[in-house]
Amino acid sequence: MSIATDPMHQFKIDRWFDFRIGDLDLSFTNSAFWMVVGVLVLIAFLAAATSKMKTVPTRMQSLAEIWYQFIAGIVKDVNHAPGKPFIPLVFTLFSFIFIANIVGMMPYWFTTTSHIAVTGFMAIFTIGLVVLVGIIKKGFGFLKIFVPSGVPFVLLLIVTPIEIISFLSRPISLGMRLFANMLGGHVALKVFAGFIPSLAVALGGVGMLMGGLLVMPLIVGVTALEFLVAFLQAYVFAMLTCVYLNDALGEAH
Amino acid sequence: MGKDDLNDRIAKAQAKIDAQERPARMSTGKGMGLGFRMASDFAAAVIVGVILGLGIDAVFKVSPWATIICLLLGFVAGVRNVVATATKANSAPQGDVTKGEGDGA
Repeated sequence: MSIATDPMHQFKIDRWFDFRIGDLDLSFTNSAFWMVVGVLVLIAFLAAATSKMKTVPTRMQSLAEIWYQFIAGIVKDVNHAPGKPFIPLVFTLFSFIFIANIVGMMPYWFTTTSHIAVTGFMAIFTIGLVVLVGIIKKGFGFLKIFVPSGVPFVLLLIVTPIEIISFLSRPISLGMRLFANMLGGHVALKVFAGFIPSLAVALGGVGMLMGGLLVMPLIVGVTALEFLVAFLQAYVFAMLTCVYLNDALGEAH
Repeated sequence: MGKDDLNDRIAKAQAKIDAQERPARMSTGKGMGLGFRMASDFAAAVIVGVILGLGIDAVFKVSPWATIICLLLGFVAGVRNVVATATKANSAPQGDVTKGEGDGA
C-alpha cells in the first residue's frame, strides 16, 4: 500500500536523534517532538492568558479561568475537600491529553496519544498514585476495597478475586480507551478520506462527483466528531482519575 | 457578616446557575463519556482476566485451568464494572452538581 492511502503510516515512530545509554533507547523521536510542541503551546497559552491578571478578565484570561474551573469543578464534585491537593495533578493530566489530542488533529502533525506507550504510562502513573495515596492515608485499611463489607465469608472467596481483577483492569481500561479512540479516529479519518481518490480513479468524473458530494460531508462530520472525542477523552481521563482517587481518599463503601 | 457567609451566598448562587445551565450543556458529553467508559471497562476486565490466567498457568503449570477460571472471573468483573458505573450514574440526580459520578454510595 502506498503512503498516501496507508492508514497506519501516520503512526510510525521516527528516530530523529539517536541517543542510547547502555541498552536504554532514549532517542528523540517525532512523538517526543510533538509532545514538546504540545507542552510549549500549553505553557505559552496559559502564560499569555495569566500574565496580566485583571479583576475583569480579558478573553484569554477568562478562557484560562473556565479551563481551570472546569477541572476544579470535577475534582470538587467527585472528591470534595480532600481532593483539593490533587487539582494541579488532574489539571496537568487533562491539559496534556487535551493539547496532545488537539495537536494530533492538525494535518501532518503527529498524535502522541495514539501510542499506548504514552497513554499506558499515564494510566499506570495514575493508578500507582492512587495506591500510594491510599496506603499513606489508610495503611493496610486500603486493602478493604477488595473486601466489600456485609458479604458472607464463602462468597468472599469469589468476590475478592473479582474485585482484584476489577481493580487491575483500571489502568488497562484507562490507557486503552484513550489510545484506542485516538488511533481508531485517525484511521477512520484516513480511510474515509482515501475513498475520494479511490472513487475518482475507479469511476473517473462520476467518482469525483460522488466523492465530493457524498464522502466530503462525511469527512467533515467525522472530523468534527474527532474534535469532540479529543476533548471527551481528556475529560473522561481526568474524571476517572478523580473517581479512582476517591477510593484512596473517601470513606469505605 | 463573615467570610463564610459570603462563601455560602456564592455557593448558593453558583448552584442555582449550575442547576439551570449545566445539565443541558453537559448531558451529551457526559453520556458519551459514560459510554466510552463502560465499553472499555468491560473489555479491560476480560483482558486482565486472560493475562492473569495465562500467567498463573505458566507459573504453576496447571494449563488450561487457571486461564478458564480467570477468563470467567474476568467476565464477571467486567459486568460488575459496568453495573457499578451504571448504578452510580443513575443514582446521581440530574442537575445535582454536588454529587458526581462515582461519588460513592
